[in-house]
Amino acid sequence: MRRLFAGLAAGTFLLATAACGSSDSGSSGGSSSSGGVTTVKLGLIPIVDVAPVYLGVRKGFYEKHGLKLSITTAQGGAAIVPGVVSGQFQFGFSNMTSLMVAQSNNVPVKAVSNGTTSTGVQGEDFGALTVKKGSPITSAKDLEGKKVAINTLKNINETAVRASVRKAGGDPDKVRFVELAFDQMPAALDSGQIDAAMVVEPALATVKSQGGVEIASPLVDVAPNLTVAMYFTSTPYEQKSPEVVKKFQEATAESLAYADSHPDEVRQIVTTYTKIPASVLARVTLPKWPAEADRASIEALEKLGERDKLFKTTPDLDKLLP
Amino acid sequence: MRGRDLALGAAGLAAFLALGEAVPRLGLVKEAYFPPTSRIAGALGDELAEGAFWTALGDTLTGWALGLALAVAAGIAAGVLLSVVPYLRRATASTIEFLRPIPSVALIPLAVLLYGTELRSVLLLVVYAAFWQVLIQVLYGIQDVDPVAEETARSYGLGAWARIRHVLWPTALPYVMTGVRLAAAVALILAITAELVIGAPGLGARIAVAQTSQAVPEMYALIVVTGVLGLLINVGARTVERRALAWHQSVRGEVAV
Repeated sequence: MRRLFAGLAAGTFLLATAACGSSDSGSSGGSSSSGGVTTVKLGLIPIVDVAPVYLGVRKGFYEKHGLKLSITTAQGGAAIVPGVVSGQFQFGFSNMTSLMVAQSNNVPVKAVSNGTTSTGVQGEDFGALTVKKGSPITSAKDLEGKKVAINTLKNINETAVRASVRKAGGDPDKVRFVELAFDQMPAALDSGQIDAAMVVEPALATVKSQGGVEIASPLVDVAPNLTVAMYFTSTPYEQKSPEVVKKFQEATAESLAYADSHPDEVRQIVTTYTKIPASVLARVTLPKWPAEADRASIEALEKLGERDKLFKTTPDLDKLLP
Repeated sequence: MRGRDLALGAAGLAAFLALGEAVPRLGLVKEAYFPPTSRIAGALGDELAEGAFWTALGDTLTGWALGLALAVAAGIAAGVLLSVVPYLRRATASTIEFLRPIPSVALIPLAVLLYGTELRSVLLLVVYAAFWQVLIQVLYGIQDVDPVAEETARSYGLGAWARIRHVLWPTALPYVMTGVRLAAAVALILAITAELVIGAPGLGARIAVAQTSQAVPEMYALIVVTGVLGLLINVGARTVERRALAWHQSVRGEVAV
């Protein structure tokens, strides 16, 4: 028995030391600098939208600007915003509505670089309002009284779907929104548990492969070239290390521009950090990655958000945007 | 007897796997969302061939083992302390009953705020959940000490240490072992949940990535791995328990009949 315990203890210790080496390199917290290279932690969601950063790291754009990115993936904005504000990460990725909600609640966030932009083309965007094959619903107006799935209530996708319903002449207050993860939407739509779903890639590709029909492009209905998400930092970090922020902005702008003009390389790099099957990936509609955020589109998103009562106070875009 | 149990267990598992193969093939559920067993097995094979899978497995086991070790150590220490000092026990009873039912996952925002998406966040959740399992069992175990035996030991002039060694510990050990076994299972569940929700490296994070990637067979393959892991941990905990309590009537009786 004693030997057994000794074995267990030794095994535990070995596992602990082995994994500490692999997953947690050194101390966390603040950025560290050595030999002119600054290491910064970036909190991301493992989705297609953040491909430019991975591509930028591979192409050496960040290195060129004296930055070493330590990428941490989290499951959603819920982990990233507090992570950045508490200094666990120096930079993070979040959708614009979440950033505006944070700003209006006096959470010290500061958007620094463009993240993802909608393609701006009706029917050819990376996010779409979809219905099942053969559904009697043909426009967003028909959603009154129907059950529509969105990934997060009171956030960017609800605003966008409401915009589509309004644009089609319907009353968004009569739509029943339910919260469902993107990846569960295709199955729920197919089995009739929901009447429509606001999906983004790669779930959108799955819906389309089952004969699902797009009835609107909500992100396009908000504004022509909607800035959907941005990279951000905390206000204290921005004030403390303006030169690091500047380097991050330059390297990210370069990465975004490169990704935008090399879609094949984007599809390739996506396979390194997601498990999207090749057959699905080939059909995925990529977003746009302009180097600059579109302020007019963010203002439109803010107006709609205010109308949907998402903010306690009006977000101060001058403070939030770079 | 043992052979027959094993055969029955294997037959049950085989029937379950056959059902998993048949249900999607018969079209009862769509293959796209619930792949048949054979496709999951194929995806599992691909997973096992990947180095990243083993790193993730190592990360999960680290979170589990460290969390469990901390919870057991803290649970036993706190349990003994509370039992030895009755005032303390009475002063903390309501606090324990208040804290114990709080689900560990409710602490995720706190964990992220304190530690980001790293191992320490996982540990916070694992230790919080597993600690109570051990503590409560230790408290019950020590309460169960036969006062006559305790008094007898005292009148034979045994010192405090000898009483703990010969009276208290043997009485409490079966309870402690039950606590450890329960804690081992809870710790695994919480380690994987934390990885799944927070994104800390490990099997849970891999499941989440497969989910968001629409890689359904891979997702189920990883879920199968967590199930197997739970099974192995339970078998291991039972073995440790049986060996540690070989002298105890609960175990001895089982063998003698």
